[in-house]
Amino acid sequence: MAKISFNDIGISAIVTTTGGRRVTIDEEAERFGYDERTLKRLKRSMGFESRYVVADPSVCTSDLCVASAEKIFEACELERSEIEALLLVTQTPDYRAPSTAIIMQDRLGLSTDTVAFDINLGCSGFINGLYTAYCMIRSGLKKILLCVGDVASRFAYEGDRNLTPLMGDAGSAILIEAKEGIESHFVLHSDGSGYEHLIIPDGGCRHPFTARSLEAVPDSDGVPRRRVDMYMNGPEIFNFTIKVVPKMFRELLEYAHAQKEEVDYFVLHQANRYILQNIAKRLEVDASKLPMGTVGKYGNQNSASIPGTINAFLHEPFSSARQKVVFAGFGIGLSWGAVLTEVDRIYAPPIEHYQAGKGDEHA
Amino acid sequence: MREADLIEGIKEVIDTEMELSRETLLEEIDYYDSVAVLSLMSYFDELGVGVAPKDFEELKTVGDLVDLAGSILDDR
Repeated sequence: MAKISFNDIGISAIVTTTGGRRVTIDEEAERFGYDERTLKRLKRSMGFESRYVVADPSVCTSDLCVASAEKIFEACELERSEIEALLLVTQTPDYRAPSTAIIMQDRLGLSTDTVAFDINLGCSGFINGLYTAYCMIRSGLKKILLCVGDVASRFAYEGDRNLTPLMGDAGSAILIEAKEGIESHFVLHSDGSGYEHLIIPDGGCRHPFTARSLEAVPDSDGVPRRRVDMYMNGPEIFNFTIKVVPKMFRELLEYAHAQKEEVDYFVLHQANRYILQNIAKRLEVDASKLPMGTVGKYGNQNSASIPGTINAFLHEPFSSARQKVVFAGFGIGLSWGAVLTEVDRIYAPPIEHYQAGKGDEHA
Repeated sequence: MREADLIEGIKEVIDTEMELSRETLLEEIDYYDSVAVLSLMSYFDELGVGVAPKDFEELKTVGDLVDLAGSILDDR
C-alpha cells in the first residue's frame, strides 16, 4: 500500500476550462426518449440539470488544457522558461502516439529542456498526477505544470443513454512548486481485477481496431454501444465506490494523524451526486464541506473533476484564505487515491467555458 | 432487525408508495429501477449485509430481496 508524505511542496494555481456547449437534461430526454418518470428520477436522485461538452468535435483535450495553462501564464508572475515539467493526465490524447504533453510543450512555448509525458488515468488521475508532480519537485525540479482532463464526449457513444448524459468535457492546468510550510499526505491504490467494469475494449493491441469495432451492439439492458466506446458497469462501480472510498478516508486520516473536523473541504471526484451523498453519509461529513454539484451542472469531468469543482464552487475560499483539504479520486482501473494537504490563497478563478481562439491547433 | 422492519426499510429506500409484502413482484413496484438497485445495495451495505451487483440479477419478489439480508433478521 502506497502511503507517502511531502513537505514544502504545494499548489499555486488551478484553472479549469470546460467545453463550450451547454446541453440540458431536458434536451437529452427528448433525444433518448426518456419517459417523464425517468426524467424526474434523473433530476431528483442524480441531480442532472446540464453538462458542458465541446461545441466543435475537433476541439481536443490539449485545446482545453492549453487554454487553462495560458490563463495561468497571464495571471501569475511566471515565465514560460521556468516550467521544468509538463504532465498530462488523460484518456483522450490528441493522437494514439506521441504523448500529447510533448505537443503541448511546443504549443505553450516551453523550453525544450522540459520533461513532458502523458499519464493514462481517469477519475483517480488528479491525485496520481499530483503525486507524480510532487515526486518530481522532491527530485529537484522547481515548477511543474500538471494538466488533467478529457473530452469524454468523444468516448461516450451518442446512443448510450446510461453514460452519455453523465459525461462532461474539461481540461485543467495546475501549477505546482515549492511552498514552505505545506504538508501533504497521500494514499494510493490500484486493483486491476476490476479493469473490465470501465473499459474501451477495442483499439489497443489486445483487441485491435477492426471494421466490427464500429458496430453499435445493444448490451443485456438494450443499450447500444460500439467497441471503441467507453463501457461502464454502473452497479459494480457504485459498489466498489461505497466499499473503498470511506475506508480510504479513515486510512488517510489515521496515516496523517488528522481528525476529520480539522478539514475545511473534502473535494471528491464528482462521479454523480447520488454516489457523493452516499459517501458523505458514511463519512458523517457535513454537506457544506463536501461539494456535490459538479455533475449536475457540468457533467462528470473525469480527471478534471476535482479542479473543476474548485473553480466552479470553491474559488472564493481557495483564493482568499488558507484551507486544509482532502482531495480524493476513484474510478477506472480500478484506481483510487486521496491526499490531505493545504492550499494557501492560490490563483483559482471561476470556471471558464472554451472559446476558440489563437493558439488552437485545430483552428 | 425484524423482517417487517426490513420490508418497511426497503419501501423507504425504493421510495415507492405501494404497500409491500414478501409476495410483491419487484417488476410491479413503481420505481424499482437501476437507481433503486443502487439504493438497496447501499442500504444493505449500511446494515452490514455483504452484497454484490450480481446478487440482484435473479430476484423476482420482495421476499427474495429480504432473503438476501436473512442473516441479520432476528425473527428467522
